Amino acid sequence: MAVVRTPAERIRDRLAVAAVIAITIVMLAPIYWIASTAFKPRSLATTVPPTVFFKPEITPFIKLFTKRVQLLRPVDKATYDAAPWWERLIYDGGERVLKVGGDPQLSAYPNRFLNSLIVAISSTFLAVAMGTITAYGFSRFRIAGEPDLLFFILSTRMLPPVVVAIPMFLMYRQVGLVDTHLGLIILYTAFNLSFSVWLMKGFIDEIPKEYEEAALVDGYTRLQAFLKIVIPESSTGIAATAVFCFITAWNEYAFALMMTNRNAQTAPPFIPAQLGSGLTDWTTIAAGSALFLLPVALFTFFLRNNLLRGVTFGAIRK
Amino acid sequence: MKRSITALLAAGGLAFVLANTARAEELTIFWAEWDPANYLQELVNDYTKETGVKVTVETTPWSDFQTKTFREFAAKGTAYDMVVGDSQWLGAGSTQGHYVDLTDFFQKHNLEKAFLPATVAGYAEYPIGSHKYWAIPLEGDANGWAYRKDWFEDPKEKTAFKAKYGYELGVPKDYKQMRDIAEFFHRPNEKRYGIAIYTDNSYDAIAMGVEQTIFSYGGELGHYATYKVNGIINSKEAVQGLEAYHELYKFTPPGWGKAFFLEDNQAITEGLAAMSMNFFAFFPALANPTTNPHASGTGFFANPAGPTGAHFAALGGQGISIVSYSKKRDAAMKFLEWFVKDSTQKKWGELGGYTCSKAILESQEFRKATPYNEAFYQSMLMVKDFWATPEYAELLDQLNRHLYPYIVDGKGTAKEALDGVDADWTTTFKKYKRYAQ
Amino acid sequence: MITKLDAKSAAMARGLSDLSIRNLFIIPTIAFLIIFNIFPLIYSLGYSFYDYSAAGSAPPVFVGLGNYRELLASPYIWSNFWITAKYVIVSVGGQMLVGFGIAVLLNRAIPFKGLITTLLLLPMMMSAAVVGLFWQLLYSPSWGPINYIFGLGDFPWLSDPVAALYAVAITDIWMWSPFVMLLSLAGLSAVPKHLYEAAAIDRASGWFTFSRITLPLVAPLLLIALIFRTMEAFKTFDIAYVMSVQPTTELIAIRLYKLAFQEWQTGRSCALAYIVLIMVLAITNIYVKYLNQVKAR
Repeated sequence: MAVVRTPAERIRDRLAVAAVIAITIVMLAPIYWIASTAFKPRSLATTVPPTVFFKPEITPFIKLFTKRVQLLRPVDKATYDAAPWWERLIYDGGERVLKVGGDPQLSAYPNRFLNSLIVAISSTFLAVAMGTITAYGFSRFRIAGEPDLLFFILSTRMLPPVVVAIPMFLMYRQVGLVDTHLGLIILYTAFNLSFSVWLMKGFIDEIPKEYEEAALVDGYTRLQAFLKIVIPESSTGIAATAVFCFITAWNEYAFALMMTNRNAQTAPPFIPAQLGSGLTDWTTIAAGSALFLLPVALFTFFLRNNLLRGVTFGAIRK
Repeated sequence: MKRSITALLAAGGLAFVLANTARAEELTIFWAEWDPANYLQELVNDYTKETGVKVTVETTPWSDFQTKTFREFAAKGTAYDMVVGDSQWLGAGSTQGHYVDLTDFFQKHNLEKAFLPATVAGYAEYPIGSHKYWAIPLEGDANGWAYRKDWFEDPKEKTAFKAKYGYELGVPKDYKQMRDIAEFFHRPNEKRYGIAIYTDNSYDAIAMGVEQTIFSYGGELGHYATYKVNGIINSKEAVQGLEAYHELYKFTPPGWGKAFFLEDNQAITEGLAAMSMNFFAFFPALANPTTNPHASGTGFFANPAGPTGAHFAALGGQGISIVSYSKKRDAAMKFLEWFVKDSTQKKWGELGGYTCSKAILESQEFRKATPYNEAFYQSMLMVKDFWATPEYAELLDQLNRHLYPYIVDGKGTAKEALDGVDADWTTTFKKYKRYAQ
Repeated sequence: MITKLDAKSAAMARGLSDLSIRNLFIIPTIAFLIIFNIFPLIYSLGYSFYDYSAAGSAPPVFVGLGNYRELLASPYIWSNFWITAKYVIVSVGGQMLVGFGIAVLLNRAIPFKGLITTLLLLPMMMSAAVVGLFWQLLYSPSWGPINYIFGLGDFPWLSDPVAALYAVAITDIWMWSPFVMLLSLAGLSAVPKHLYEAAAIDRASGWFTFSRITLPLVAPLLLIALIFRTMEAFKTFDIAYVMSVQPTTELIAIRLYKLAFQEWQTGRSCALAYIVLIMVLAITNIYVKYLNQVKAR
């Protein structure tokens, strides 16, 4: 199905590519800046003009994973010499690592990161699964009060978390869900469902009913038709929904802060908390943010082909 | 899908049970995420070594500290056994039943004499003058100033300053001198500015800066015992104080409309300003040569006096209280008994905590330990606080609303701004029936 | 026809009936959402009629519509609404234009299309608080790259009463255009090629192709993007709170936060939340009706 491109179209294509490259650079510049700051020594973090070329170091990442305080007096030579290479980097930065009985204390970052993974993956799976089947139900069957039900689903996302937080907290406290992974998972699933249902319905509506009718004629059950036809056809929708739900759950701040304490808290409330010793440690925050970006970026990258596949928009129309 | 849900529920239930059984011999202290909390964790590890009771200092960023604490109070929760609360929370904590009454504890251990009087009044007592105590002063703090000693001591600057203003360039003795110095060093073309002050109006930053200026001009925020504000918050002295603060804003770096402790410290580390206001708790970062390239040239002084000789510093700092909903009040009491021991307070000071123990604060050893301790000691002798009533947050919000447009945007006059505060505060106090007529 | 019925009923006899599938697919979700939303909604609605502080020990005092009246009479609240409205229009409008524009550019055979698409989604993947924090640094007049690169001297973006709101909106547009871009791209890449071919054969102009073929087919997804971004824009809190807290940038969500969690005026904050909810419901209703119209075409 090769389409012959006219010269005019080919020039348009080239211009488009150039524009895309330019836009990509502009959009990504801040992100590159954050990622590069994660490898800078602290003194170069806020220079004007921004430092583009520098000798990278991994001190910010060491700082990210350890619990530290400022040095009130210079460290004595004996302690410094006896310390391992990474601890010396911390001393060089004017801080010392907190120790409990001689063992360096880990910061809360690894624990929070793990919590984020658990909560985000679970709630995304649930939101996408429930959303898809509900969207299918609304799309293919006649439901009494459908527009109202759909609008109700939409409205669950309208209240700012601020307001829902107190009653949610009281409710969770009653059932013992405060500071638990399950509590956050349920919350995020409920929050993402509205988007999941609406988006999947948007995609499923575009898949012609004729495909399933044909399958039913051939002897498939409704459930099999759903699994064998609708799911693959709407894989773009599923991928897009999964990406968005994951991003939302991954970066959620308000409920993560309010509903959890030190057991189940996720990373977003933790990363900005590197502020507090009187000076912003941009390099450590950048390191934390860059690392935190990786899972989401990888997840999206793996789904990229599905995202771009598209759906057979009304290919068979009456 | 059903199986995964069951698995999740089971895991959740198990985690819940485990979490609860593990808390048998544990205490939790809740504070904000900053270095003093880390020092406190180091300090309480000693208690664990002595008694075997595990004490965890749980933290959250400053911006969320008040929210999370009061959320827990609202739910009468048991997540925290003790809280290191702001001095302004004393009103809410005591009248709303969140804090345990520690008056007897104070008498038993003679704490009124052991701690500096200003700290007892500021971090522990509510209402003022009642001798009822709800917290143990833990982290003393006040608002002070850092300055570029090296700029001040530069002979060329000294000559030029003397020529222009007629007196020696040095640490300002009053606000007029501070204004002159700020003007002198305000050189935008050199990217050097006169002064850095608090302007952030999201909570209590700008309020702290303004209040200590008003106090030093002889003004008051109102009569704390009777809640009378009319004629006091908008008195001549208060208006002059506010005008002085607005005047200082003229000499701040560009875009200085959202400055709090981080920005003000950066004003020094980035070599932007000659003087910068901040709470003493944040000055260790400035004395540290690795975080502050100008550390050797940075000095500190206490808030200057006003034209009438009135001399005050804004009170910061926190005291540790026992949460009344905690299931381990007795264990918490025992912990506090250990905390107020002289030896513990000494170690606390050495680790980096700002102890409020009178003996330690007055000692030469403490005052000479860091470049800022002397100014800190001087400040603690003259600290004064904001309202500590339960509705203090509303008062802060209304204050911000009127102060910010005047100071940062230059709208209206100081008198108009304070008249507005007077009206709003009086309405608020009437709403809470503070005027028993 | 008869054969079809037989096969169909045979299938139905083997598998789950349509009715049970319908119920199984719909009811759990609805029930789940009702449980998790009804309680907070009723709680909030109830307390909006009381003078109550969740952190205080005083019992709630019934004030009827008093909270609502007080809020609607306050000039500060109306200023918050006006600021939020401005912000929503600028921010959502910007996101739609930029997002859709990029999607149109990307909708052709480009090398590394998958990689570029993923890269362009990165801004959306960062936590709002972190984005606000770093953009605050970008906008800084003293050490921020933006003023340096565009030669703006020391223009105080975030402190200027007028520019601050637009600065925050620009950050929001940067962050969320990828959302619109992705949805648009999904829609665009699904437009059947044969329609374009037919139009090309008929020598249709670029504009005609775009407005009669492309746009109507992508419209449903675009509208979904618009609905959700508008709802989210009304709730904007994290970015704005971290970057700029002036009276001229106090969005309604920030005011709600202060009322609920700094001043602990629970009753009043619930009332304000319901006022906001009603507004958002009204606006969204209009969008949804339009969406249904578009779909019916």
